[in-house]
Amino acid sequence: MSPVDVSHIRNFCIVAHIDHGKSTLADRLLELTHAVADRDMRAQYLDRMDLERERGITIKAQAVRLLHDGYELNLIDTPGHVDFTYEVSRSLAACEGAVLLVDAAQGLEAQTLANFHLARDAGLAIVPALNKIDLPAADPDQRAKELADLLDRDADDILRVSAKTGEGVEELLRAVVEQVPPPTGERATPLRALVFDSMFDPYRGVITYVRVKEGELPSRSRIRLMATATESEAEEAGVMAPEPLPVDVLGPGEVGYLVTGLKDVHQAKVGDTITLAGKQAASEPLPGYREPRPMVWSGLFPNEGGDYSELRDALDRLKLSDSSLSYEPETSQALGFGFRAGFLGLLHMDIVKERLEREFDLELIATAPNVEFHVIRGDEVSIVHNPAEMPVPGTYDRVEEPVVFATVITPKEHLGAVLDLCQSRRGELVETTFLTPERAEVHYVLPLAEIVFDFFDHLKSNTRGYASLDYEPWGYQESDVVRVDVLLHGEPVDAFSTIVHRSKAYAYGKRMTERLRELIPRQMFDVAIQAAIGSKIIARETVKAKRKDVLAKCYGGDITRKRKLLEEQKKGKARLRKVGRVDVPQDAFIAALRVGEGAKKK
Amino acid sequence: MTAVLPEPAGLYVHLPFCLTRCGYCDFNAYAGLDHLASRYVAALLREAELAAPAWEGVEVASVFLGGGTPTTLEVADLKALLARVRAVFEVAPDAEVTTEANPDTVDEQKLAGLREAGYARLSMGAQSFDRSVLAALERVHQPESVVGAFRAARAAGYDNVNIDLIYGANGETAASWERTLREAIALAPEHVSAYALTIEPATPLGRQVSRGDTPAPDPDLQAEMFETACRVLGEAGYGHYEVSNWARPGYECRHNLGYWERRPYVGLGAGAHGYRDGRRWWNVRPPEEYLSIVERGELPVGGSEELEPADAYLEEVFLRLRILQGIPSSWVEDGREEPFLESGLLVRDHGRLVPTERGMLLLNELVLGLTC
Repeated sequence: MSPVDVSHIRNFCIVAHIDHGKSTLADRLLELTHAVADRDMRAQYLDRMDLERERGITIKAQAVRLLHDGYELNLIDTPGHVDFTYEVSRSLAACEGAVLLVDAAQGLEAQTLANFHLARDAGLAIVPALNKIDLPAADPDQRAKELADLLDRDADDILRVSAKTGEGVEELLRAVVEQVPPPTGERATPLRALVFDSMFDPYRGVITYVRVKEGELPSRSRIRLMATATESEAEEAGVMAPEPLPVDVLGPGEVGYLVTGLKDVHQAKVGDTITLAGKQAASEPLPGYREPRPMVWSGLFPNEGGDYSELRDALDRLKLSDSSLSYEPETSQALGFGFRAGFLGLLHMDIVKERLEREFDLELIATAPNVEFHVIRGDEVSIVHNPAEMPVPGTYDRVEEPVVFATVITPKEHLGAVLDLCQSRRGELVETTFLTPERAEVHYVLPLAEIVFDFFDHLKSNTRGYASLDYEPWGYQESDVVRVDVLLHGEPVDAFSTIVHRSKAYAYGKRMTERLRELIPRQMFDVAIQAAIGSKIIARETVKAKRKDVLAKCYGGDITRKRKLLEEQKKGKARLRKVGRVDVPQDAFIAALRVGEGAKKK
Repeated sequence: MTAVLPEPAGLYVHLPFCLTRCGYCDFNAYAGLDHLASRYVAALLREAELAAPAWEGVEVASVFLGGGTPTTLEVADLKALLARVRAVFEVAPDAEVTTEANPDTVDEQKLAGLREAGYARLSMGAQSFDRSVLAALERVHQPESVVGAFRAARAAGYDNVNIDLIYGANGETAASWERTLREAIALAPEHVSAYALTIEPATPLGRQVSRGDTPAPDPDLQAEMFETACRVLGEAGYGHYEVSNWARPGYECRHNLGYWERRPYVGLGAGAHGYRDGRRWWNVRPPEEYLSIVERGELPVGGSEELEPADAYLEEVFLRLRILQGIPSSWVEDGREEPFLESGLLVRDHGRLVPTERGMLLLNELVLGLTC
C-alpha cells in the first residue's frame, strides 16, 4: 500500500452529546467511503467492534481510516463522559479538526459545549453540523443561529445533516476535507507518536492507538515510551480500516494501532509519546502528558465469605487494562481486609465495580465514595483520601477540598431550579449567559464532593431531564469539612465514617442512624447508634434490646428438631460481623452504605 | 461386681386423631381419620409387643398419651392400650400415667372410666378462657366447656390435672391474658403449662402470617405475658420448674422431666420418638404408613441419629437450662458466662449457672452464647 501524501490526510473527531447521532453518522461515513462491504454493514458498526476478530485481537475502533476521493480520513473516537476529560483532550490532540454535531431538535448540551471548548482551545478546525434535520421536532433555523452565535460564524455555514437518511453526509465529508487542515510533520526527524488510547488484549498484550506527529513508526521496531521510560519490541503497526490492517510503516500525520509487545497498560499510558529506542530517539516528548489522577476514592471489600486474595488478583488483572485505576490495601474493623481504590470519577468507579463483579464473579461492598482532601498544618500538607485518615478537629489549621468548574445548560424555565440546586450544594455562581433567549448556560464553582453523590440525579429531576452538566477540575479551596463517625454501642464503625461539610453533617448523621436502626437486629442489650463529630454526638437512635428468644414448647420427645433449630440459629450468628459487642448482618453494611449512593451514569 | 440398675424410662403413645385441625398446630395430627381408629389401636397393641423386648429390665416410670386428641378414642380402647403396655413393659406400680384431653371430648362418665382404667393424671387443652383468643386459635370449644370439663374431672376423682394455655394469639392483650391466667388458677389445677404461641411455617396460621393476612405475635408483648405468668402463677403458689411449666410442689410432670433430663424413653404410634444411650429415633409419621408397617409385624422406625458429643453437649445444656436446674459452671468454657451474669440473665447458685426469668426469655441466646 503506497503511503498517502500528508496533504491528503485529514484527522478529525466528532464532538456530540450522547444520542445526538454520532454512531449513526459514523455508519453513514463507513458506507459512503465503502470502508465496509454492504453485506458486512450493520448498525452502529464501530460501537460493536469490541468483538473477537479472526486474528484473535479484541479491538475497539478508537480510530477508523476512511478513504474518500483520494483522501485518507481518520475518524478518531472520543470518550463521552466527564470522568474522562483528559482522555478526550488526548484524542483531540490527535486531530486537526472536529465535527461539532448537534441535535437539531435538542440543541447544544453542556458536554458538547465543554468538548467544543476543549477542541477549540486545542486549535482544531470546527465543522459545525446539525443532525436529525428529518425529525418533525427539529428546529434547524433556531439551532443554526444558536451554533452560529457560539462559533461567531454565519448561520449559513452550519451544515444540515440527517445521519439517518444520509442527507447532507457527503457535503459533510467534503467540508471536512476542505475545512480541516492537513497534518504537518517531517518524515526525516526522530519519531514522536502520541498515544491517545491503550488497551490490553489477552492474546497480543498492550495495543496502543497512536497519532504519528513526526518521523516514521515502522511495523517492527524497538520503541521507547518516554513518560514511563519503558522500551519494548513492537510487533505490528496497522490501521483500522475498520478491521485491523497491518502496514509497513505509519508516517507523519497518520493514525493507527501499534501492538507494543508490552504486557501492562501502565507502561503505555494515554498521553505518552512513543519514539524509537537508541540513537534515533527524540529528545523531547510531546507536550500535554499527565499522570492519571484519581478524583474519587472508595473502599472495596469482599462480601460475606468473599476472599481478599481473589479481590487482589482481580484488581491486579483489571489494572492491566485500566491505567487509571489505582488502589492500596486497606483494613477495616468492620469489613475486614480490602482496598482503597481511586477512580477518575463515579462512572469510572461504577465501571470498575461492575467489571470486578461480572468478569471476576466477585461480590463487593463499596464504601461511600469520597474526594481527596488536603489537610494543612503549618507548612505541612497531608493528603487524605480515606475518612479514617482524617485527623481529629483541633489538630490542624485548615482543610481544603477539590472544586470543579461546572457548566450547566438548561432551558430558561428551569434556570431557577438549577440555581437553587447549585446554591444548596455550596456552589459559587460565576456567571449565567444565554445561548439563545430560551437556553441558559450557567457556570458555577462547586465542591467536587457535592457533585459525586446525587447531584446529576437531582439536576435531571429538577429540570425534567432537560439540563445537562459538564465540569472540570478547578483546584482546591478551603472548606469547613468534618469527619462524621457512626458508633454502634460506643464503637466507631470505620466503614461508615465520612468526610462532609459541617452544614451537611447532621443530615448525614441522622440518615445513617435512622437507616441503621432499621437494619440492625435486636441484640441482648439496647444498642445506641450514634453519629458524632469528634466527641460531639450529633444524632442518636436506639435499637431496643430483644426480650424474647426461646423455643416455647419442648416436649413430645422430638428433641432432634429443637436442637437443629438451635444449630440453624448458630449458623446464622456465624454469618454476622461483630462490631464491638454488636452483631451486624453483612446486608446491613451494604444497605447502609447505599444511603450515600445515588450517583448515576450519565 | 455391682450391677448398675438401668435408668428408668418414659413411654409415650401418640394418637394422631383430632375432631378438627387447629390453625397453629404442626403436630402429627389429623381430622377425619376416625375410620382408622380401631386399626390404629390394634397396631399400637402390636407395636408395644414388638418394642418391649428391647426394654427388658428397664423400669417404665411414666406413661403419657398425647396427640392429637387421645380422648377422641373410646375408653375401652384406651383401657386395653394401657393394659397391654403394663403387660409387656415393666411399668412401675407408682408410675405417672397421663392422658391429654380436650374439653369437648370428655364428660364425667368418660373421665371416670379413664381414671378407673389407670390414667391418673389429666392434661387438659384449655388454651384460653377468652372467647376471641380461642377463635383466633381456631379452637372449637368455649371457655365454659373448660370449666365444665375441669369440674367433671374433679368429680371423677382426678386430683392431678394440668391446664394447657397458649398466649400471644392475634388480638390477645396483656389484660386478657392475665384474666385467662386467673380463671385457670380459680380452678386450682395442680399444674399449668403456658406456651407462647409459635408460628410454624407449615401450618395454615403460618401461611396467613407469611402472606401478611395475620400479624405475627409481637415478641415484646409475649415477653410481657411471660412475665405476667411468672408473677401471677408464682403468687398463686405454683413453682416455675420449666420455661413453660408451673406446678404445685410435688406435681411436676415426671414424664416431661424425663425428656428434659435426657432419660431414656420409648415412643409408640405414628411419628413418636424414642431415645436411649445416645441414639434418637422416630417412627414414620403418616398414620397409614405406620399401620401397614406394624401390621407386617415390623417396628415402624422412620429414621434415627447417633448423637455426636457436640450434639449431646448442646442438648444437655439447653435442656438443663430449660428446667431451671441450670448447669455446672465447669460445663462452660472459661468466661463465656460472664456477660450473662453481668447482664442478669444467669445467676450462680451453688456452683451452677441458672437462668433468671429474663434469661429464660432469651434462652436461645444463652445456650448459643455458652456453648459456641
